[in-house]
Amino acid sequence: MDASLDTIRHQMVQLLPRLRRFAIALTGSAADGDDLVQDTVERALKNLHAWEPGTRLDSWMFRIAKNRFIDNRRSARRTKIVTLDTADEGVSLDGERAMQSHMAFQDTAAALQALPMEQRQAVALVLVDGLSYREAADILEIPIGTLTSRISRAREALLTALEG
Amino acid sequence: MDRETLDAFVDGELPPQEMARIAALLESQPELKAYVLKQEKLRAALRFEELLREPPPSRLVETARKSPVSWQWRLQAVLGRRFVMRSIVPAATALLAGLIIGLTTGSRGDLFLSHGQMLARGNLAQALNTDLASSGYSGEGPHIGISFHDRRGRDCRTFALAGHAGLACHQDGAWVVSTLVMQSSESGGTYRMAGSEMPDAVRRAVEASIQGTPFDATAEAQARANGWTGK
Repeated sequence: MDASLDTIRHQMVQLLPRLRRFAIALTGSAADGDDLVQDTVERALKNLHAWEPGTRLDSWMFRIAKNRFIDNRRSARRTKIVTLDTADEGVSLDGERAMQSHMAFQDTAAALQALPMEQRQAVALVLVDGLSYREAADILEIPIGTLTSRISRAREALLTALEG
Repeated sequence: MDRETLDAFVDGELPPQEMARIAALLESQPELKAYVLKQEKLRAALRFEELLREPPPSRLVETARKSPVSWQWRLQAVLGRRFVMRSIVPAATALLAGLIIGLTTGSRGDLFLSHGQMLARGNLAQALNTDLASSGYSGEGPHIGISFHDRRGRDCRTFALAGHAGLACHQDGAWVVSTLVMQSSESGGTYRMAGSEMPDAVRRAVEASIQGTPFDATAEAQARANGWTGK
C-alpha cells in the first residue's frame, strides 16, 4: 500500500469543503448536505478496499456521495423543494453587503433545487465544483454527450429562473 | 452556432483553436457575447465560494479522522492488495483479519508472508508434503482434503487447520496458499475441524482452477513421489 491510512484520512479532511458544497448543491440545505457528507465519509472508509490506490480519491468520493444521495432519496421519497436554510448552520454571513450576497445565494440555490435531479447532479459537478465534462461524466457513469445536453438544458432553466 | 458549443466554450471544454475562433467571433456578434457573459455570471454564482471558505463542521472532520476503516483494507495493508482481491472471498468474516495476522505472526505459525504471497510452513507445510488423504486422518494437526492438478500445471491440495480451510498449490518449492477462510465456529469459541466438509469458498476456488478430476489414491501417491511438481 503506498497510501497510508493517515494520509488518506488527511486527504478526506482536505476534501470536506468541496464535498460539502457538492452535497449542499444536491440536497438544497446545509443540514441535509452535511448529513450526506458524513454518510459519504463513513461509507468511503467502510469500503476503502474498493478504492484503487493511485486513482483519484475525490472522484471516488463524489461518486459515493451521488449514489448515497440517490439511495437516500429513493428510500425517503421526500419531494421537498427547499431553499438554503442558513439559520444557524454555519452559512451565516454578516452585514448588509453580505445580506445581499446571501439573497443571491438563496436565489441561486433555490433555482438549482428546481432542476430535475439528473440535471442538478451534472450542474453540481461541472458548474459548482468545476470538474471537466469528462470527469463529471465518469462520476455520473453516463456518456459525455448525455452530460453536455443535461448541462445545456440546466443552464437554460437556471437563467430563466434567475432572470425572471 | 448551437448552444451546446457556446456552453462548452464557457466551460473551457473546446480544443484551443476552437476556443480562439469563438473568442474572436464574440467581438463581432454582440448577441453571442451577451449570452456568454450571462453564462459566465451564472457559473460564478454557482461556485458558492462562501461554502468553500468556511471551515467544515467539526463532526465531519471527526468522522474523516476517526470513522472505522474496512477490515478488508486493513488486511490488504498487511498482505498486499493483489492477494486479498483475488483470494479472500467476501463471505469471510471480520474475524479473518485478526486470525490471519495471528497465524502469520506467531513464531510457530503455519503460515508466513513472502512478497505478498501467503506460504505454508511448519505443520501445515509438512502435512501438505507428506500426508495422503487416502491413508485417513489421524485426528490431529492439519487435515488434507483433495488433491488435483490446476490449469497452470501445479499440484494443489485443500486443507483444514485450526478452524480454517484453504487451498494451497505447490510452486517453486513452496506451498502457496491462495484461499483461506474461517470455518463456522461452535458456541463456546472453539473452532470445528473440517471433517469431510469443504467450505463453499474453497470448493469454488477448486472448481475455478481444477484441470480434470481430483486425484485418486494412486495419483495422490504418485504426485507425492514426484515431489508435487505437477508432473
